[in-house]
Amino acid sequence: MLSLDVLGPGGPYRSRRQETIRDLFGNQVATLSLAPSLYITRAIKALRRAPALSVDARIAAFAQAGRAFATQSIAGLTPEEYQHTVSTVTGIPITVVRNATDEIARAAEQIHHTVENARPAAAVGSWRDPRAQGGAAVWTRRGEVFAVHAAGNHPAVHQGWFDALALGYRVAVRPSRREPFTPHRLITALREAGFGDEGIAFLPTDHHVADDILRHADLGMVYGGADVVGKYAGDGRILPQGPGRSKILITAETEWEPIVDTIVESISSGGGVGCVNATGVLVEGDPSPVAAAIAERLAALPSLPATDERAVLPVMPVGPARRWDGALRQRAAGTKAWLGGDGIADDLGDGSAVLRPAVHQLDSPFAEQLGMELGFPCAWVAPWDRDAGIRPLRDTLVLTAVTTDEDLIDALVAEPTIANVYVGDHPTPWMEHGLPHDGYLAEFLMRTKTIRR
Amino acid sequence: MVEHAGGEFVREMMRWHFSPETGSPFWLKRAKNLDFDPLTDVRHFDDLGLFPNVVDELRDIGVRELIPRGYGDEHGVAVYESGGTTGQPKRVAYAAEWQRGNVEWFSERLDAHGVPRNVDWLSAVPTGPHNVGAMAVDTAMIRGGLNFSIDLDPRWVKKLLAQGRTDVADAYTDHLIEQVGHILAAQDVGVLFATPPMLERLAQHDDLVELVNRKVRAIIWGGTHLDADTRDLLRDEVFGNAKFVGGYGGTMMLGTSVERPGLGDDEPCVFDSFAPYTTFRVIDPDTGQVVPYGERGQIVVHHMSRTALLVNNIERDYATRIAPVDGGFGDAVADVAPVASFGDTKVIEGVY
Repeated sequence: MLSLDVLGPGGPYRSRRQETIRDLFGNQVATLSLAPSLYITRAIKALRRAPALSVDARIAAFAQAGRAFATQSIAGLTPEEYQHTVSTVTGIPITVVRNATDEIARAAEQIHHTVENARPAAAVGSWRDPRAQGGAAVWTRRGEVFAVHAAGNHPAVHQGWFDALALGYRVAVRPSRREPFTPHRLITALREAGFGDEGIAFLPTDHHVADDILRHADLGMVYGGADVVGKYAGDGRILPQGPGRSKILITAETEWEPIVDTIVESISSGGGVGCVNATGVLVEGDPSPVAAAIAERLAALPSLPATDERAVLPVMPVGPARRWDGALRQRAAGTKAWLGGDGIADDLGDGSAVLRPAVHQLDSPFAEQLGMELGFPCAWVAPWDRDAGIRPLRDTLVLTAVTTDEDLIDALVAEPTIANVYVGDHPTPWMEHGLPHDGYLAEFLMRTKTIRR
Repeated sequence: MVEHAGGEFVREMMRWHFSPETGSPFWLKRAKNLDFDPLTDVRHFDDLGLFPNVVDELRDIGVRELIPRGYGDEHGVAVYESGGTTGQPKRVAYAAEWQRGNVEWFSERLDAHGVPRNVDWLSAVPTGPHNVGAMAVDTAMIRGGLNFSIDLDPRWVKKLLAQGRTDVADAYTDHLIEQVGHILAAQDVGVLFATPPMLERLAQHDDLVELVNRKVRAIIWGGTHLDADTRDLLRDEVFGNAKFVGGYGGTMMLGTSVERPGLGDDEPCVFDSFAPYTTFRVIDPDTGQVVPYGERGQIVVHHMSRTALLVNNIERDYATRIAPVDGGFGDAVADVAPVASFGDTKVIEGVY
């Protein structure tokens, strides 16, 4: 069985308090050390005292760590063993985990490009830059220690804090207890590649202690639902990462038939577990044919164990899967079920169940279900018209707008609560290194300062 | 103080509390509603399970009702209160003879740990209506020390935390730490008596840690729980020069139990009670049966002395059941922790 130690500034730390992590079938896979509050406090203090590496050293360490993460044995696990462990514990299809491994490695290799893109065009990176002589804006950190309450829905979410480390912050990651394997592996690789024990820490804790990590750090980021967003809304030091609620809008003058593949991919790629997976599909005109076409395509996805090479849907232990099923049905009451109306938990007979896709049709673009996001392919198809305007499109991480209406595109791009707008035939999960996911994290981490010398 | 073997001690306590000449008005009245006769049916420790848990009645009862008549006017009673975690505070009466015996026993346990005598104490524990502050004052005094007191009000802190006002709670704690700092800097403190949260907070101040490590030779902790990992860190990494001695007690126990001396660093912290007056049982909360040694269960506390009879009081704490020293009464307890919260199984929307 694996032992995941706390990785603090003093090296690995094994606590007496251990949490057992089980796979989908209830077998013990690993024990996770949980750091007490006092450990956290001292660890963050030590991180703050540690000097940041030079830019070049950081970039080189990222490249090395990314390669090691994807191709070498780390903390006793080969990449294949790591991927199998994540899949069998989280129920995320093995190919999704494998793709995420490569994606993380690429993100590490390109981190310099990513943070450079975020720097204001006129700002220089150092006071030593010759341009600072006559006066220049210098890009500087707002603090020294950045803390993350990481998400466990998808391994690639850990790219989310790369920018902070690349910008010279010392980073404290509190892993999700649902999936601590990816951050443990990644942080081990980063420490070995040059960040050392005092550059980045892996600090698993229970929920009583979790807030201490944020309290002692200078700035922090937290993933969670609406409750988490609400809790930190008034705290300028914390950047909440809330529900994605990604959406697709199809206006009347465009053809939807040619982009059914894109819609289906938006809803279900990566197992449908991501914040960038489409939740809402809004159709100008009759949404029924669109819902029918999506449902037909999604119905064909196979139910397979997560570790099967052909698996594309997420798997859960049967008990929780049934609870999700119940919760979905309760919330979907009064809507028209095109898919999943007779249950989404498909029992595999081994203690686990596949979460099958659900497609429901709503009467109105203002139906409250449109904002409901779950960790499997689950789409709400609703009618939309110009009178509804952009109100139903708000609070969206990625909006794919299939439209030729430039005024509408103007309004969508201008809307503050829509983070990304993809115009035309582009799936919502599309991402590119160097482009912002929910704004550049650097916008939160950095400030400019005039230097003249 | 009485010193007797098991059954005889129990029967003597029953005679004291349920005889019209010596019993308290509370128990003499309450006995009428018992479905057994304490004088004839309660003959051994195991018979204490017959008693109902009456501590909730201590929220409303007039404290004078609790004073055993056997003391006459010479009872020397001091009134103390619980922290009010589970509602309105409960009140108890500590006779002077009990407080004296309790403090002497506590002091002997400190000797067994090698806590120095004739040094001054800094006690950052609740005073006011709680007994622990008085215990600090009296123990320091009989050991030849002065006691410097920092008062702290646990009810106010609990209220703040319940309302989510952690910023105010933090400010209050900072205020307390500031006062601790003044004393540490100006006085020659040899023993520090504090709650674990105060010690954790002290640990955040490098200058105060340095003062403690230079001056303090023993740290006595109690009042709240200290998990094994934090205890290791405090003892081994933060306050490396001080002897650590833990206590698990409370106003409703009318005293404390003290960490067993002589255990290794990797062994759990075992608490021995002040038997036969204060005894523990570790039970399975579902069946009420005592769990085997080494297993975890819920703690039941019996207090039985001339000053009070408060038996069969089920605490919210869980612990591992450990054999008592020298075949004594009741159980010793290890790894005391509040009842574990169970995993959250409700469905939360969102993908994170």
